[in-house]
Amino acid sequence: MLKDFLLLVLKGIRYRPMRSWLTVIGIVIGIMLVVIILALSSGVKNVINQQLQMFGSDLLIILPGKETSIVTGLLGGQKFTYNDIMDLEKLPGVKSVAPFDVGSMNADFKGEKKSVLVHSSRWDKMSALFLESRGTRMAEGVWPTDEGANEVVLGYLAGKSLFKNSARVGDEIIVQSKRFRVAGILQRTGEQTDDNSFYMSWDMFHMISGVNPGVVTAMLRMQPGENINLVTRQIRFQLEKQTEVTDFTILTPEKTTAIVGSIVQIVELVLVIIAFVSLVVGAVGIMNTMYTSVLERTKQIGIMKAVGASRDSIMSLFLIESGIIGLVGGVFGILLGLAVSYGISVAAMNFGAPSLFSFVSIDYFELVVILIITFITGVLSGLFPARAASRLEPAEALRYE
Amino acid sequence: MEKSEQERRDPVCGMNLTGLLETFEEKIDGEAFYFCSEPCAKRFKTDPKKFQGDPMIHLHDLWKVFHDGSVTTEVLRAINVHIWKGDFTVIIGASGSGKSTLLNMIGMLDRPSSGGLFFEGRDIAATSDDDRTILRSSKFGFVFQQYNLIPWLTAYDNVLLPRVFAEAKGDMSREHIEKHFSDIGLGERMNHRPTELSGGEQQRVAILRALANDPEVIIGDEPTGNLDSTTGNKILDMLIKLNKEEGRTLIIVTHDVDIAKNADQVIVIKDGKTIPSHARHTKIYAE
Repeated sequence: MLKDFLLLVLKGIRYRPMRSWLTVIGIVIGIMLVVIILALSSGVKNVINQQLQMFGSDLLIILPGKETSIVTGLLGGQKFTYNDIMDLEKLPGVKSVAPFDVGSMNADFKGEKKSVLVHSSRWDKMSALFLESRGTRMAEGVWPTDEGANEVVLGYLAGKSLFKNSARVGDEIIVQSKRFRVAGILQRTGEQTDDNSFYMSWDMFHMISGVNPGVVTAMLRMQPGENINLVTRQIRFQLEKQTEVTDFTILTPEKTTAIVGSIVQIVELVLVIIAFVSLVVGAVGIMNTMYTSVLERTKQIGIMKAVGASRDSIMSLFLIESGIIGLVGGVFGILLGLAVSYGISVAAMNFGAPSLFSFVSIDYFELVVILIITFITGVLSGLFPARAASRLEPAEALRYE
Repeated sequence: MEKSEQERRDPVCGMNLTGLLETFEEKIDGEAFYFCSEPCAKRFKTDPKKFQGDPMIHLHDLWKVFHDGSVTTEVLRAINVHIWKGDFTVIIGASGSGKSTLLNMIGMLDRPSSGGLFFEGRDIAATSDDDRTILRSSKFGFVFQQYNLIPWLTAYDNVLLPRVFAEAKGDMSREHIEKHFSDIGLGERMNHRPTELSGGEQQRVAILRALANDPEVIIGDEPTGNLDSTTGNKILDMLIKLNKEEGRTLIIVTHDVDIAKNADQVIVIKDGKTIPSHARHTKIYAE
């Protein structure tokens, strides 16, 4: 019986290919959006997780400002003194501390001017941080050792693609009207901002930038096996004694994950709402088609009832049809969504943001759920038109022209 | 069997004789019977026992009223009809007389507004939609003026359509159906869609479809109305053959008085009411 119904419906769909495909396209667009959104949100999660993993579980980040308003704290211009931060290195359980100051500077390479982000710390601190927390080494050249020399290290993209000409070790680059020698170019870290930045010694940075010296961010590495809560309490106790920065935040890996997680959740919620709306639009499309279809086929419904189709049979025929439309729309929507996500992920990779649109990280279980949802959406959209169709008296339907 | 004047009905055609100026009385074995016309009386005498039993289809004071906004149209008014198993019945009347509506009632394609509708003694006026569907698909086959084939199905699939909805009855193998197609001269046209067939060919396919469930009753709503006279006659011959040779009850609605010549019973309908007697009033109608 079901096989006969299915064949009957398929023949009907094939007889009106244009209308059927147009309805399917409505669903396809909705589902395609859903898949792209899934790819984007799972990609964003991946990128964030990768970043978090890079830092490792023994790294603490110290920032000025309250926990609830880190960005305001950073913009507020408050800085720790260099000595207050370096004193933390003496605490038990702390392995090393890398103080950082950051500023935007003008760079001139072979006549091409760019504004670049410059990070500064002590050379030994920077080299250790890159190597230990991310395993990043020099792609070319070596880390400088002389804190007073006019030397600069470039992030991978800053060296390769920021300027028209790729920079090489030994090239001269002018930063804030002062000549610097490129001492090294870092390997790619995968983090866009870091890869596009310049790295400079603490003393040089403060000499040419003209800003008040101070620490904007400190990266603190614990001794292996230390109790993170204990170390955090000690740092807090110590920093509360200094007077430069009134509010500060110590980001532990868990805290960072939690903050990032809550942001991702909000992003996901927004994306899910968009996806839901697009599905509803698709469903309205099916409903519209099915209603039109019922009207168009009123006479044929009459014929079928005359030759023995019951209410349930007519209902089933229309529900199968709308279910198939939903399902086919779902399948094509998913395929197209995957293709577009893949295309965007390739493009994103070329723009230096690999895995932002994570094509491969889509959960295949989610795809199955989407298919089930589209089928159910299709069936539900067809429910009212099908009911209307099934309730017609045969004679009434046969009179319809 | 004698009934009061108010309840007196013709046992053959079912007509309510109340108020008729002219009725026919026959005494059989000392019992008096009343008829609307001489032909009904004659038929009664051929098998009095049968005509005192239940007819296959019985419409009793049946009304059909359509409402369209504030407009109410009484399409059928107190219709009383008996249709006997194996009969060839012709329903005849002018356009808008209510003959197609009457046929829809008989074929259970529509529900009466009031009154009784009995099939083999069972009241089906108020029965459920599903019960009517089962009865319709197992007992009735329909042939329409517009052929009413499903446009997206081939001739073969159209013939098989009733089988999609009902339990299989009789041989419906492809070979068997192919033979039927050959018998009606459409052996080569089985896989054509309705739009690729002529009117006569479509109507022949529709007749095959009507026979798919091996029905006891064939209902034709002006089956020759859209065909030229030669083709129409062929179709009519096919239908009459189903009645005369296979014993299926045949009920046809038509404008065409000639068709009535072969009928066992003619129901003349005018302004939603049946007119007494057949031959007599067929003649009046023709005039």
